[in-house]
This record gives sequence, structure tokens and C-alpha cells, in this order.
Amino acid sequence: MTAVRAAPAVAAGGVRRAPASGRARRALTGWGFALPFAALFLVFTAGPVVASLAMSFTDIRSADLREPLAVEPVGLDNYTRLFGDELFLRAAGNTTIFVVLGVPFTMALALLVAIGVNAGVTRFRTVFRVGYYLPVVTSIVAIAVVWRFLLQPDSGLVNSLLGLIGVDGPKWLDDTSLALPTLIVMAAWRNLGFAMVIFLAGLQAIPQDLYEAARIDGAGRWAQFRYVTLPVLRPTVLFVAVITTIGYVQFFEEPFVMTQGGPLDSTLSAAYHTYNQFGFGNYGYASAMSYVLFLVIVLLSIAWFRLLRSES
Amino acid sequence: MTRRTRAVGALVCALALAAAGCGRDDAGGEAQQGEQVAEGKASGEISVWAMGTEGEKLSTLAEDFMADNPDAKVTVTPVPWDGAHNKIATAIAGGQTPDVSMLGTTWMGEFAKTGALDVVPPDLIDESQFFEGAWQTGVVDETSFGVPWYVETRLLYVNKAVAQKAGVTEAPKTWEDLKAAVTAFKQQGGAEWGIYLQPGQTGAWQTAMPFVWQSGGDVLDGDAFALDRPEVVQGLEYYGSFFSEGLSSKDQLRGGEWEPRFVQGSIGSFVSGPWHIGVLNDLEGEGTYEIWPMPKGPQAATSFIGGSNLAVFKDSDNRDAAWKFVQFLMRPEVQVTWYRTVNDLPAVKSAWDDPALKDDELLSLFGAQLEDAKAPPSIPTWEQVSAAIDGELEKVAKGAASAADAANAMQQKATSIGTGG
Repeated sequence: MTAVRAAPAVAAGGVRRAPASGRARRALTGWGFALPFAALFLVFTAGPVVASLAMSFTDIRSADLREPLAVEPVGLDNYTRLFGDELFLRAAGNTTIFVVLGVPFTMALALLVAIGVNAGVTRFRTVFRVGYYLPVVTSIVAIAVVWRFLLQPDSGLVNSLLGLIGVDGPKWLDDTSLALPTLIVMAAWRNLGFAMVIFLAGLQAIPQDLYEAARIDGAGRWAQFRYVTLPVLRPTVLFVAVITTIGYVQFFEEPFVMTQGGPLDSTLSAAYHTYNQFGFGNYGYASAMSYVLFLVIVLLSIAWFRLLRSES
Repeated sequence: MTRRTRAVGALVCALALAAAGCGRDDAGGEAQQGEQVAEGKASGEISVWAMGTEGEKLSTLAEDFMADNPDAKVTVTPVPWDGAHNKIATAIAGGQTPDVSMLGTTWMGEFAKTGALDVVPPDLIDESQFFEGAWQTGVVDETSFGVPWYVETRLLYVNKAVAQKAGVTEAPKTWEDLKAAVTAFKQQGGAEWGIYLQPGQTGAWQTAMPFVWQSGGDVLDGDAFALDRPEVVQGLEYYGSFFSEGLSSKDQLRGGEWEPRFVQGSIGSFVSGPWHIGVLNDLEGEGTYEIWPMPKGPQAATSFIGGSNLAVFKDSDNRDAAWKFVQFLMRPEVQVTWYRTVNDLPAVKSAWDDPALKDDELLSLFGAQLEDAKAPPSIPTWEQVSAAIDGELEKVAKGAASAADAANAMQQKATSIGTGG
């Protein structure tokens, strides 16, 4: 109705003013529709994010809960302190190892499984697909219980099987040099399904005539994979790489339920350390840690985009 | 658009910092006195938060209280232990606290420092009724902010069959006796491990600190940490020797993993609180074990005291009635009823004269140990300091650091964390 009544005004008001007022009205309507989301976003997402950023420049602790504004600004102190924190450096080191080994390992494994499910298995494809995806949707708590049983030094399945071939299995989770690699394998197993499903979708989108052409040119299986599958799959690989990296930099659940960061802090991750600091009530310091982690994630994602950006 | 968002962000940030510029006002550490509570019966609504089994069963006591005070209405909200600390912290930040809450003893320093807790009114609650170690858990900067509700302390659980085979007939009196007994458990008693002491990780300080106290050391001396003193080193050396001599497992055993092994006799003994009586009896271990008091170290035979406190919040609309409810829970006969309901050991000394506790052979041992039991200092940073101590204890247990190096590292870390004062 409003629009109709506004129309004569447009005609009367001259050519230049008319579209402007129409546009403003439309913008207003647009904002009106966006308002519920925008308000929720500002209050519950952007607000806390900005507040925590501000917190990271203060010495706020849990004792300041009642008067959160009565704290001292400390500038970049929290950030500089981080790099002198022996435990944080240890945690950062562990996280680096976890990401550097875990991401390629998980992706390679997922790609291998996806190719296998795509090409080799025809009969029970759905069974395999569901099977590999199951760990993704299973609660980490249940997974932890089962894996702890499997990895029991004396009576676990893993060491019993090793015993059959005469190998004396180690204490997987109680050995400072083995605990982290064990968690990497477990994380890869757990996250494999998600990456596999994405890869599978990517593989199925590759036109068969490309392979046909390659075969006519005399390409073997490896050459087909190297020169057809991989280049076409590049955007899929990028997506999986970014998502897996984001997840792995925030590596937390596995050590939380399996080792509590031990033995001797060998599985303490940066996110776990941050969690502990929040628990101790060092809100400012912990916020600073979170922002360092956030920055690392952003930089790594940019690096992946640079590395895997399509050549065209 | 992005530029504008960024500008807004920077503005909010700057505002927050400007506001922050007012700075914190440092309250002096002088002892405060609680205000008097009005006489007469309690009235009005009283909201209470409690954790675990206590939270589930407290309403039975609340009904007795309401029968005495017909105008009062007590509402108990059970809170799961896992989320309790956060829930209370959030309630304090939002000014939405209950009138009364149960608080873990090691949280007192932190919550008292926020200024959210009301000072205990001395006219209503008499300090001398309580075990000294328990009362101290509620005292922060010489002011009482909480009243001990129930207590627990740690003693040695010993497998009878193993002890018999090892020829150990009576409880060891000294550190040397304990070491000899545990060695005999392993060598003659057929136990794989003579004892199980927690080798570091969360909460290990509860196992190791008694040894430190027994050798005369402590966490604080006045306002400064004293973790690098020779007495502390001596305590840590004794703790570490159980691992280096192969008497205790260097690998962390999860709860539920070692109790069956204790009942079977592959673990000769362990240190724990009264709740393990129930755990062992559930495993059909009743009568197969005995309990020993802590041995005397170079200085003392002190054990650890834990439990929970009750505190009233300053924001309470019904403060007087809230304190009256707390006082009701501290009556000796109510403490005994509470023991009968949930097996919590009374924090009030005279409650232990009741036959239900006095005539129980195992429990009376805990009662005796409570006279010589200590709590960690109630400083707001204790959770963090204790995590640092746990980390160093793990190094001692696993042979990655000497007791002296660990003590120095504890002192250095604790000092850099500070007492939060």
C-alpha cells in the first residue's frame, strides 16, 4: 500500500530525489527483516567476542566477577607473558606436532579409503560408508572408554595381538614418547569418516570421460590418479585441509578424556592449557591464549588457500 | 562495511579499557566480623544449592527445618558437581546467587575474594564446635566466610590377607615402619605393588601433602610460599621413594581400576577417604581389609582434611533466615541424622559422641585422625598452585626430577602465580 501511495510523490518530487527515498525505504524494510538476526548476532556472538578481546588486555581474574570493570589494563602483557610460559610453549609444541603429523595422515588415509570405497567396493558400499562415518557421530566419551580398554598395557586387545607375534607391547598412554602419537592415530581414526565422505563426493563428481581420455593416452593407474584425480579434486582437498586443520589446531577432547594432558604434559595441547587457565580463573590470560590460537588458525587457513588455490 | 565493523569493535574495546582504567580497589586484609542475626524463628523463602548426593537428599533435612519454622520455605536445588564451580561463578557475576550454597573447601579463597560471600555471624555459629582443620577451610584473610558442613580425611587401607602373609600385625607408627610394611607386602605378601600412591596428575597433592606436613613442611609461611624448605624436600623424598623403590606403580591408575586389584591382593594398600569403605564393600571386599591411621613422620602424623562448606551470599534477600538454616544443619543431632542419610562425616565434634559413629570401628579411626588433619591454604589461586604442584609431583614419581629440584620448581611456579591477595 505504501509503495502505491508513494508513487505520485515520486512523480511530483522530481527525478533525483525520488529513487533515493524509495531506496531508503527499501533499505529500512531490509534492515527490519535482518534485525532479529542482527540483534541476536550482536548480543550473543559479536558482543562476547569483543568482550573477550578486551579482556585479553586486562588482568581480569575470577575474583573480579562482581565488578568486571574494576580491573587494570595491562596492554600486551598477557601476550608477552605467554611466550615465557614454559607450559604454554610445551603445549604449543605438542599441538604443532599433532597438526603437522595428524592433518596429512588423516587426509591421506581418508583419500585412500574414499578411493577404495569409490572404485573397489561395489557390493557393500553403503555398509563401508556408514562404518567409516560412525566414529564421527559417536560420543568421544564412549570412544575413550573403548580405546582405553584396547590400549591397556597388560590385557588390552592391541597388546594381546602384538603378543601373538611375540612383540611385547608398550604402555601406549603412559609412555611420554608414545602417548601423543597414539592420540594422533586415534584422532585420525575418529575424523577419517568426515573427510572420506567429502572426498567421496568429490571423486564421484569427476567425469568418467577424463579417465577414458587418459587411458587412451596410455595412462596407468598411478598416472590417472596423479594427473586426473588429484588436479580435479583440488578444491575438495582444500576444503578438507582447512576444516581438518581448524579442528586439529583446537585439539582438546582426546587428551581431555584419555590422558588429562599427561604423562608429564606430553599430550597437553594449547586448547587444553587454555581450558585449564579459564578453570583457574585467569580470564584475561586465557583470553589472550585463545586469540593466539585464533590467529594461528587464520594464518594456517590462509596458507592452505595460497597453497591449493586453483591455477586458473 | 568491514571497516565500520572494525571501527565499532575498536570503540567498544577502547571504552572497556577506559572503564577498566578506574582500577581495582584493594581491600585490606583485616579480619571482618559478621553482623548479628535477628532473634526468633526463620521466615520467608530460602534457596539452597547443593551438589551430588547432598543436593539430592538435603530436602529431607529441609523438611525438618520447616516443621520447626512454619513460616520459612526452603527450596533445595541439586547441582551436579561437574558444572557447580562454573554455575556459582556465573551466578556471582550475574548477581543471581541463591541464599545458601554448598561450596568445595578449595573454592573458598576464590569466591570469598569476589566479595560475594557473607561473613559468618559469630553470635550464631560457634567456632569451637568444629574440628580445627575443617574450620580453617572457611577462613580467608582471617575472616570466616564458610562453615564446615561435613568432613573427610585420608587413612591407609590395607588388604588383610596380604598383611598377614607379609607378617605385618600392627599398624606402623613411623615412616620407617610404614616403608618396611609396604616392602614386606610386595616381597612376602605377594602383592605386585605394596601400595598405590597417585603418581602425579590432578589431585596428587592430596596424597603427597600429608607427607610434607608429617615432616614439618607447609605450603605457606605467613604470606609467602615455603615450598622449597628442607622439610618439604624431605616429605617429597619420602613420597618419591615409594616409586623409585618399585613399591608403587608409576603409571596412573583410573578410579575403578585399582579397587578390584586391591581386593584381589595385587595392590597391598592405598590412601583414601571414608567413601572407599562403601566402594570396597560393593566389590564384596567387606571384612577383607583394615584401616590404619597415618604414620608419624619426623614431626607429625597429619593427614589431609577435605569436605564441603556452607556459605551465605551477600546478595541474599533473606540473610538472617539463611544463616538460621545453616545453624540448624550444624546441630549435633542434625549432623548425626545427616550421617545416617548420606554417610557424610560430621564436622561438629560433639556429633561423634553418638553411638552410630562412636561404635563403628572403622569410622572412629577417621574421627581420631580428624583431630590431626590439615587443609591446604584457602587462597584464591590454590587451584592453579595445586596444579603446578601436581605437575612437579609427577616428575618426582616418574623419576624425571629429584625431590629438591621439584621443590624448587614448585616454589618458583607458586611464587609466580602468587597468593592472589
